[in-house]
Amino acid sequence: MGKESGDLIPGTLDMLVLKALQLEPMHGWGITERIEQWSKNVLSINQGSLYPSLYRLQRQGWITSDWGVTENGRRARYYQITRSGKKQLAEEQRNWKRLSQAVDVILEMTAP
Amino acid sequence: MDSPREIWSRLRLWLRSESMEREMDEEMRFHIDQSTERNFRAGMPPEEARRAALVSFGGVERFKEESRRESRPRLLEELLQDLRYGIRALRRNPGFTLVAVLTLGLGIGANTAIFSVVDGVLLRPIPLERADRLMVVWETDRNTGTTREPASVPDFVDLRERSRRFEALAAFQGLEVNLMPAGGEPSRLAALAITPELLPMAGIRPLLGRVFLPAEEKPDAPGVVLIGEALWQRLFARDPTVLGRTICLDGLQYTVIGVLPDTADFGSLQILSAADYSRAFADRGRGARVEVWVPLRTDPQTTPRSTHPIFVLGRLAPGATPEQAQQEMSAVMADLEKTFPENTARGAFLEPFEEVVFGPVRPALLVLLGAVALVLLAACANIASLLVARGAVRQREVAVRTVLGAGWRRLIRQFLVESTLLTAAGVGLGLLLAVLTLDLLVALAPGGIPRLSEVGIDGRVLGMMLAVSVLVALAVGLIPAFQARKTDLQATLKEEAGRGATTDRKRSRLRSLLVVAELALAVVLSVGAGLLLKSFWHLQQIDPGFRTQGVIKAEYQLPPSRYPRSFAAWPDWPEQKRFHDRLLERVRSLPGVESVAVAGNHPLDAGFTNSFTVVGREEEARDWPEISVRRVSPGYFETLDVPLVRGRLLRDGDGTSAPPVLLVNEEAVRRFFPGRDPLGQKISFWGSDRTIVGVVKNERFLGLAKTPPPAVYAPLSQVPSVTGAGSLLVRARGDLSTLSPAVRGVIRELDPELAVFGEEPLATTLADSMGQQRFTMLLLAAFAGLALVLAVVGVYGVLSFIVVQRTSEMGIRMALGASQNYVVRMVVLQGARLALVGLVLGLAGAFALTRFLRGLLFGIEATDPLTFAAVLVLVFSSALLASWLPAQRATEADPMSILRAS
Repeated sequence: MGKESGDLIPGTLDMLVLKALQLEPMHGWGITERIEQWSKNVLSINQGSLYPSLYRLQRQGWITSDWGVTENGRRARYYQITRSGKKQLAEEQRNWKRLSQAVDVILEMTAP
Repeated sequence: MDSPREIWSRLRLWLRSESMEREMDEEMRFHIDQSTERNFRAGMPPEEARRAALVSFGGVERFKEESRRESRPRLLEELLQDLRYGIRALRRNPGFTLVAVLTLGLGIGANTAIFSVVDGVLLRPIPLERADRLMVVWETDRNTGTTREPASVPDFVDLRERSRRFEALAAFQGLEVNLMPAGGEPSRLAALAITPELLPMAGIRPLLGRVFLPAEEKPDAPGVVLIGEALWQRLFARDPTVLGRTICLDGLQYTVIGVLPDTADFGSLQILSAADYSRAFADRGRGARVEVWVPLRTDPQTTPRSTHPIFVLGRLAPGATPEQAQQEMSAVMADLEKTFPENTARGAFLEPFEEVVFGPVRPALLVLLGAVALVLLAACANIASLLVARGAVRQREVAVRTVLGAGWRRLIRQFLVESTLLTAAGVGLGLLLAVLTLDLLVALAPGGIPRLSEVGIDGRVLGMMLAVSVLVALAVGLIPAFQARKTDLQATLKEEAGRGATTDRKRSRLRSLLVVAELALAVVLSVGAGLLLKSFWHLQQIDPGFRTQGVIKAEYQLPPSRYPRSFAAWPDWPEQKRFHDRLLERVRSLPGVESVAVAGNHPLDAGFTNSFTVVGREEEARDWPEISVRRVSPGYFETLDVPLVRGRLLRDGDGTSAPPVLLVNEEAVRRFFPGRDPLGQKISFWGSDRTIVGVVKNERFLGLAKTPPPAVYAPLSQVPSVTGAGSLLVRARGDLSTLSPAVRGVIRELDPELAVFGEEPLATTLADSMGQQRFTMLLLAAFAGLALVLAVVGVYGVLSFIVVQRTSEMGIRMALGASQNYVVRMVVLQGARLALVGLVLGLAGAFALTRFLRGLLFGIEATDPLTFAAVLVLVFSSALLASWLPAQRATEADPMSILRAS
């Protein structure tokens, strides 16, 4: 699979975005940088795909947004996690853990 | 791109979210600028930095489009998807779907039908003004202890004059009249004679014309009549020019002055039914509808204080309480008692109108509503149990869907969509069942239930049904959803066969719980049905005192126009006598006829009572109750097989010229002649001393459930009927159905204008007198049967599940030498355990609930041990039977193949 191995499993981007916003409100670019930094550039995301994800999360009420000003004085849209977003993150983390364990088990199985 | 829909959607998006577009542009531009800047700082030339930023962002337009899509609300799309998925899932399991829809359909259908009856009869607003302020004013008799006697006309006039606590007092009398339409067949109509206050007081307005004027109460006022809507339709095809035309009632012409709505007779049938006597058409069994209203002539000459034909209704004055009104009426009655000897021992008893109307049916209807709700509960438990079982199969599906990112909300919604689909199908089927059974239900219902004919499935009923269905869908959907939520994802995916011992055990525990609940519900309902069944059986075991087998009856009322009643000549009324003599003679000669008689009242008609004295013991009579007076032709006792105890029966010779004679029944002897010989004693009433010549056994003419009252039997020819009412009773061999037309033919020959009614086998009359008991019993038995079937299916299902789950264990046990009997015993014991828990819970529930049945029972206690025991045996053996089948299957397991498989 080589080059493709850094691709995200569908649905995980939302979880990463929530995780990033858990710490502080951020704009889209900030979230991109944060995810790159965390994953030490292993996970490559198509930066643009962040935006559908942000809009989806907003629709679901897990994040909200407001226009603010950056340190350099530029107007930018800042996203903030909501209470139900935090809950959702916790839930998704639990599910992720269970899933990855399950997948581990399957992968470690030896053929009968 | 060019399609109009596309253009419209873009236009709409543009209209709605111009600002969103602008913001999205700005946001993405900011992102790319920042990215460019970083690349630039990393040492790329400006052109290169910008290009790289655009590359790592990906297609801007594509993501804008995706963002737009994501920001649109999704509910409908997801719902449609869930719906498609749900329908697919249900179609994959046609067996499950069929059982679930059938169960729900039965539960919902039965509930809808019963609720529509309860709603139509009890809950819907009464078609009268402020019916809660209306009171029925009964007269009472301290000697007999009766509290629901009709009033005399002079008493009513006095009460009306002297009352201050009532805003208005009105009276009515139940009548039956012959209608002779021009050129048509004579027919028999239920009628009310009313005082002018009645309709305005009740708030009933005519559809056409006017109501009665105060002057029309006078004895010499011209004959006017109000007709009901149905009669207006039947006779005049709703012709609005009907006012001023005449109709012929009992041979007299009446001018139509108005048309009343069909609901104008509301409550009158029930008041008549509740009365101790003078019940008029209410004694005719099936629900009669009043079609004709005439003025009640309050003439003290023809209606003395000693006869009690009318019923008094009053509207409480503003601020007056029922207690105050009761006191006032009692005081007036006490005054009258001092003044008039006829009023000895008479008082007043006030009862709320609504209580009189609904009191007799409310307990039975509420019991049925409660019972049918329990059936629905059992149906829900059954489906929840089925869904939990299916949850086992779907466990993997749920796990996979969860892994694929379906949120919990989405999964719960999926379950709810499925349960809603099931419930919707159930509602459809239930509605169909309700529509089909409602007519049957109404036909089966006893007469006398108020406004039963108006019962139907309307908006209110549908609304209620939908509300209940939503609850059902929630209950049925959420139980398996939460069960699924507990599923251990990892374990589920790990187990190759998809069957985990621990989760399955939990699952079967939940199912066992549901089955126990079903068994308990079945016990409660069966106990209720059992009690009613036994009551009914008790009722049927009672000897009515007369024979119904092979006897038919036909009734008529001789109109005064052709059968004059000269009070001066009484009892010598030759026209009536001639009619009866010829009728008896001609009917007796019909083929197959063994015996024939004419009576003033048929043996299930309460008839009337009269005060009396025994000659020589006049003083004692002051404290005696009135006695039922039965007028009969001599053949009565032979026709109805009423045995003579002592003395002789009536003879043809006991006519107007012979000395007046009487028979008394055993109850009269017990009550009035204890330790004396009644034969030869003289009883005095209606101006003659009548010698007792014989004693006969008791007839229960007040109904099977009531003790027979003291009665005298007088020869019809010596006491002819003032109303002209007659009941022909014929006993014959062979086919009774061919006899009826022959009898009708005879009457037609004798008097072509006389209406004949109530033609039916006496057995039918007797069965109808138990109509309410039969109705309640049959329905409750049906509900109990349904609940029992559901419980049995539930037990069978859960045990089959357990057996499948433990197949390998059984195989091992059998391989190790366990006998087939042992395996059967093991499974059946499990079923027995469930049944025992269900029985204990059900018994507790039944003990708590059967007290609501108390008013409906006859001859047994609400905690009748025999009934309880019988139900225990029934439910327990059904449960054992249901567990025996899966047990049998368990023994068929081949130990070798099972061991090999594991």
